[in-house]
Amino acid sequence: MNRISDRILVGLTWLSGIGMCMVVTGLLLFLIFHGIRQITPALFFGDTPWLKAITGQSPVFDGIWPAVTGTVLLVFLSSAIAVPVGVASGIYLAAYASSRQRAFWGSMVDLLSGTPSIVMGLFGFTMILFLRKTVNPTAQTGLFLAAVCIALLILPYLIRTSQAAIAGISTHLRLIGPAAGFSKWQNIRHVLLPLASRGILSGIILAVGRASEDTAVILLTGVVAQTGIPRNIWDKFEALPFRIYYLAAEHRNATELEQGFAVALVLLFLTGFLFAIAFLLNRYAENRWRIRRYQ
Amino acid sequence: MLKINPPEKWIETGLFMAAVVSAVAIVSILLLLIYFCLPLFSGNGLSRVFSWRWQPIDGQFGILPMCAGSLALSILALGIAFPPAIGICTLVHVLSRGVFARIVLILTHFMTGIPTVIYGFVSVFVLVPRIRSLSEAGTGFSLLTAAITLAILILPTIVLVCYTRLEQLDPVLRLASAAMGFTPIQQMRHVLMPAATKGVAAAAILGLGRAMGDTLISLMLAGNAAQFPGSLFTSFRSLTAHIGLVVATDSQSLAYQSVFAAGLVLFLLVAALNLIIRKTDNRITANAFLRVQETRHEQNF
Amino acid sequence: MKTDTRYRWILYFTVAMMVVAASSGMVSAASVDSFAGMEGTISIAGGTAHIPVMNDAAKAVMTAHPKIRITVEGGGSGIGVQKVGEGLVDIGNTGRPLSKEEIAKYGLQSYAFALDGVAVVIHPENPVSGLSAQQVRDIFAGSVTNWKEVGGKDGAIHLFTRDEASGTREVFWGNLLNKGAIASSANVVASNGAMKVAVAQDKAAIGYAGIGHVDKSVKAVILDGVMPSQENAMNGTYPVTRKLYMNTKGEPGKLVKTFIDYILGPEGTALSQKHGYLPLQ
Repeated sequence: MNRISDRILVGLTWLSGIGMCMVVTGLLLFLIFHGIRQITPALFFGDTPWLKAITGQSPVFDGIWPAVTGTVLLVFLSSAIAVPVGVASGIYLAAYASSRQRAFWGSMVDLLSGTPSIVMGLFGFTMILFLRKTVNPTAQTGLFLAAVCIALLILPYLIRTSQAAIAGISTHLRLIGPAAGFSKWQNIRHVLLPLASRGILSGIILAVGRASEDTAVILLTGVVAQTGIPRNIWDKFEALPFRIYYLAAEHRNATELEQGFAVALVLLFLTGFLFAIAFLLNRYAENRWRIRRYQ
Repeated sequence: MLKINPPEKWIETGLFMAAVVSAVAIVSILLLLIYFCLPLFSGNGLSRVFSWRWQPIDGQFGILPMCAGSLALSILALGIAFPPAIGICTLVHVLSRGVFARIVLILTHFMTGIPTVIYGFVSVFVLVPRIRSLSEAGTGFSLLTAAITLAILILPTIVLVCYTRLEQLDPVLRLASAAMGFTPIQQMRHVLMPAATKGVAAAAILGLGRAMGDTLISLMLAGNAAQFPGSLFTSFRSLTAHIGLVVATDSQSLAYQSVFAAGLVLFLLVAALNLIIRKTDNRITANAFLRVQETRHEQNF
Repeated sequence: MKTDTRYRWILYFTVAMMVVAASSGMVSAASVDSFAGMEGTISIAGGTAHIPVMNDAAKAVMTAHPKIRITVEGGGSGIGVQKVGEGLVDIGNTGRPLSKEEIAKYGLQSYAFALDGVAVVIHPENPVSGLSAQQVRDIFAGSVTNWKEVGGKDGAIHLFTRDEASGTREVFWGNLLNKGAIASSANVVASNGAMKVAVAQDKAAIGYAGIGHVDKSVKAVILDGVMPSQENAMNGTYPVTRKLYMNTKGEPGKLVKTFIDYILGPEGTALSQKHGYLPLQ
């Protein structure tokens, strides 16, 4: 009796494992099958010559180049805001905070990481409404606002990865600095941070992946269907994930739909690439530490 | 050798300020949402927004159907995702520790990085037509469609958190139960799972929170009809999709204010889940990947 | 009598002069050349029926004059009014006339540039081709739920409607549904384009969209025996029509004014026609 139920359970676990692999490969194949034909220079630049498009000499229509630049700028700006704050706060939590402080500030980080991205977007939107009512009546949604909200979204990832990377360093490595007469900060700066750098870096890359894929935040903070390459950080912008969302709902013909699949492939390639780097860095970090352990 | 002694106190203060940023952000999000909900508290705004009918042309602005929609969607998605998640955990933890388990784990990690909008996009063309042909009454944009897609989205989160907790268990448990003659699946059923109950529960709640907070899946797949989700095949609207759809209507009407109410409700729901996780299992942080990473590091020493 | 005829001649003459003046003014202010030497930004948001025309106009202008930047957002007429009223964009598009309150509250000016009908649309394979206005009302109110009841195949009717900010919805609801109820079970889509895609994918669907958006992927329903075409909308036999408006807050600046003139002028009119709208002249 028990035997049979055990066998059924074993069967079910294999089924779920294989099922998941099939879902992922099915998804990839589906996108490749429908989208690969549209991955051409025209997908990126429309009918604008690519050299002129990249140098910004002439605007691109019917191509995703503005969306690519929009996403890249957004990721760059939000990382520029979130990475210093995130890493610094990770260091504080790992190396300075008492365990009570760590629990308290940590719970704030958890709350922030649980906050739905649409609420983060709504926060940005209300912030603009608030600014318009109070200090700056011409405040507008745009790239900078979106970057700030995305920065808040990825901040918890950065804090937790940095904190974990530093907290994970073994005690005898931690004691090297103090033994050599380093002060607390010197120890962090010259011993702990270099040791934790790969863990931190992989966290940063994951955060970048998250920043490049989120749609709900930018939906409320300044993404538009057509605008061209943003000229400054207050401009409205286009973005890859929004482009996919837009094409899913209102492709005008079969070609535009195929373009939607192609854009999805491009975005997936981008996030997959970032994921692979983070993964390898992580692996490498582990191995490096393992070797040190046995030395 | 070390020429300059940096002012240690300043550095600590600077780092502390950075740590405060998250708290400031959370508090200001809450305060701004409350501030924009304030007009509701005058008159009968509150009772009008927290009612069961959304029919703006009749002056009815109830968001309760959306609250019900969000709850139904996330619970259903969790119900769909949870069994296979436990299955996959069992598979990689006790049954197959070889190449296949490795592939499954890598794929699970990879899945956490797939953009939500891509799940939604593919589902519109793969799942919606199939669900439509399944039930005459529905358009294919339904509770079931959104829940299945959402289940795929939250699956890796649950798997990774569960797996981490299982790996954290004392290896003695496993050895002892193996010595008692338990087969791997029996070890899992009778020893390991009971030992990791809290972690598994926390993983489930984490998945629930992630499902509740997702916007794109429900916006693209749920049909967005503002009605109570009465069956698997009906169209409905989640709180998140409601915010996305209505946020920029006329700023004077209750419809507009209902958006902030929806945001506040959502925020409080997710915060409550967060609190429950902390009460259930304080070793789980709110992010699956990080937790996995922490364990990896812990294992190294 | 005599004075009357003389006055009439004077009147004719003045009108003719005005037409000449206006048309020559039009020509000079209406092609992309009239943007020569200008730079700056025009931001546009609102009505989704307008988007194809606005996008093409933006493309033409920006290609000829790279220093000008035009951003086009959708969102629906409600958003158009709100954004232009709050000064968030330069032009807020609406697919419906502004209400008195809206004009009074924000001080808006409207420029109608094209006529569009709102058609009931269904899947091309649906055997139903004509409905009475009453049938449409019953279907959208949710009291008729099976295609069989209106002469189609046995099967549930899938309702699609638009979001709260939609001007198309207001026109449809006001002119065809006589402000009757729309069942809350109706799926909600966020733009004219999305409505077309949704209906084209579902054989049991019924929805509504601007006639300019109707192509062979969906079928426009003959309403009370009248084919919803732009011609019938123009000559008044098809009742559910609206003008497409651009709105500005107060007097538009030079660049925005030039853009509005461009849309109203021959090149803009050609764009409107290309996307299935009727010019107003």
